[in-house]
Amino acid sequence: MPKQFNKATEALKIGYVLFVLGFAFLPLFVMIVVSFKSNQQYQQNPFFFDPISDWHWENWSIAYDMVSSMIWNSVFVSVLSTLTTISMVLLSAYALARYRFPGRNVIYYLIIASMFLPGTAATLVTVFNLLKNMGLINSLWALILMGTNAGQIAGIFLIKQFIEDIPGSLFEAAQMDGAGHIQQIINIVIPMSIPVISICMITDFLGTWNNVMLPLIVLRDQELLTIPVGLMRLEGEYVKQYGQMMAGYAISSIPLIILFIFSMKTFVKGLAHGAVKG
Amino acid sequence: MDATSPAPSSTPPSRSRFWNKAIKLQQLYLLVLPSTCIILLLGYYPKIDVVVKSMFRWKPGEVEEFIGLKNFVDIFNDPTFWASFQLVFILLAANLVKMWPGIFAAVALNRLTSDRLRYIFQVLFVVPMVIPGMVWLLIWKSFYEPSGGLINRILRGSGLMGFLDFLDSAMPQVALFADKSLSPEKLEGLSLHPNFIEPVFGGSWGLIVIGLFFTLLANHGDERPKRIHAAGLIAAASFVPLLSSRIPGGSGSLLVGFVVFVTLMALLARCLGPMWVLWMFGFAASLYAFKGQFALLILWTLIVLGLSELIRTMKERFSAEAQIKTIGTVFSILGIVLLLVTQTWTETTGQFEQGTPAWLGNKDLVIPALLFWGFPWVGTVGVLIYLAGLQQIPQDVYEAAELDGIGPIGMLFRIELPLILTQVRINLIFMTIGTLTAYEMFLILLGPNGGPGGKALVPGLYIFKKAFLEGRFGYACALGMVLFFIVLGLTIIYNKYVKVDK
Repeated sequence: MPKQFNKATEALKIGYVLFVLGFAFLPLFVMIVVSFKSNQQYQQNPFFFDPISDWHWENWSIAYDMVSSMIWNSVFVSVLSTLTTISMVLLSAYALARYRFPGRNVIYYLIIASMFLPGTAATLVTVFNLLKNMGLINSLWALILMGTNAGQIAGIFLIKQFIEDIPGSLFEAAQMDGAGHIQQIINIVIPMSIPVISICMITDFLGTWNNVMLPLIVLRDQELLTIPVGLMRLEGEYVKQYGQMMAGYAISSIPLIILFIFSMKTFVKGLAHGAVKG
Repeated sequence: MDATSPAPSSTPPSRSRFWNKAIKLQQLYLLVLPSTCIILLLGYYPKIDVVVKSMFRWKPGEVEEFIGLKNFVDIFNDPTFWASFQLVFILLAANLVKMWPGIFAAVALNRLTSDRLRYIFQVLFVVPMVIPGMVWLLIWKSFYEPSGGLINRILRGSGLMGFLDFLDSAMPQVALFADKSLSPEKLEGLSLHPNFIEPVFGGSWGLIVIGLFFTLLANHGDERPKRIHAAGLIAAASFVPLLSSRIPGGSGSLLVGFVVFVTLMALLARCLGPMWVLWMFGFAASLYAFKGQFALLILWTLIVLGLSELIRTMKERFSAEAQIKTIGTVFSILGIVLLLVTQTWTETTGQFEQGTPAWLGNKDLVIPALLFWGFPWVGTVGVLIYLAGLQQIPQDVYEAAELDGIGPIGMLFRIELPLILTQVRINLIFMTIGTLTAYEMFLILLGPNGGPGGKALVPGLYIFKKAFLEGRFGYACALGMVLFFIVLGLTIIYNKYVKVDK
């Protein structure tokens, strides 16, 4: 875009980007390659596929039995927490962006300030205590609640800015037609800000999906474990069967792969739009 | 943001207007209620609770006893906590360096001539996000395994392992060379006379101070006092890890003294102007570096001052500022390199002989392993965010720069970097907060005790350990507060000095 450099520099740029991308893809590649190997094959050649006749497909079925319940727990937690987050965020971002009312600034700054108030490990202590008092220890609802909290801040910040850029006349026209707040959100805000909403939803989903510490201290029962904690336990407990472990890792990535197949385009676009302002 | 709530067109009686308004307001409050409640209950309450509980001897369900500020007194006499900051500052410095590959990648992407190629790369950069964080961590952990891990296989295959083995025996010898505190038994068997740096330059720290002197000197009478001021504060901050490592026992109290010292200088800078403070700082720092060798300090001060005068008198004929700056930089870098050499690889690890170094299991290797972690340190989402910023730079800016004869590297520093400084700054702040408070990765990789020999004990991990392993929850809260204020201080400094100039 900026300027035509010569071919050598062009190759240099592409080379660097490919180098970086290569390392970014390395874990993915290793995961797939090793997931078809027995331990012995892994010791001999961890770098590339063996001939297809030697592949150990059973790694995947064994791994599926190990991780399937965790996946469903994680899906349950992440989907629910993303949905509650985004609906709450839309409601308050709409109100904060469109109207001035007493206390508006207080609420807004309260939300933004907590972005720069980092929680340390000590916060984990008090959160644990709070959840205990609420009777949510060893319950997936604790994770959903905390996930909802984590997504609010950045979500409101980004979506509020986006709503402010929607022409006010659209809302006025809708009001003329007698549309209430909720109808305005559904009919105007959501269609107009799909890129930024999808960004928020994906980051919420990933945040809850990848959360380790909270499930680690909150969940007790084996059958409630979410993916990260479950994988951590598996990695620690086992006499390491690398093939099965990697197959388990790969299976636990599948929900995210599905998510990204459907949202890749909006995500890339949204990152280009929304992130600049943040 | 326009106020649509009062409808001015109709003029009904005042009472119903009041009710109308109240209903409208009520609706708005209902809209923001869920978020506000969640944030207050789950976001703010735990953080405030930390403040309250920090004054208690507390174990949920068992003890809850008010003990005032005793926890904080304990913290100041807790050398392990302060020592843990040494590692975190090393990691912070490393992360500052690790930010660059991402920026370069974004710039390279932005400069691609083909739009289609750029889009393809953009999409490819998103793909690695499908790997859950835990999986990424565990796979990287498997790379570090002693016998079967990818890293050791590559090192063995490429013959680098032999080189590392050579360094393993050579580096401690080099380290002895500039070591200040040489024991007699270490001196035996050294052919070269050790300590040649210390008698002349006052050791590695002396070199850094001299370098700073020179840099200051080059900036003498400069029109950019703010930058010098910032440099001084950063240099001052660089002494924190040193102080916390050198003084055993009550290092906490010393750190407080140091913080007070820096604050005082910041205040003085406000009143007197930065140059005063900087010279004062330089003097204080050099007193520390040359401790016990005032003659050397005076000698070097005289040399620097003399050169300063010389330059000032010759200023009309040639400007030597750039050269002096170079000298200063060379001195500082030499000092820093020496410092790194003499303080990092001081003992033979003996891990490389068999070709199976246990990167995460050896107390000498765990920190280098953590520094290398995640090579080449490009957060793919970060790249896309930078790229989004870069794509907003209008074409004519580049054209104008090209007319001025600015090359591709000049463009990076004069156009691209300044224009994405907003993104860089936000990234910087979150990176700092993240580095200082991080503990999850260390807990997962190395366990709650901070790995071999407690070498990787970061403050966050220490807090976690105190709370969930030793059951001292109140003390953990107090530790958390101290850590919080340190993070807050750094954030404020960043906000002040990493400004966006437009």
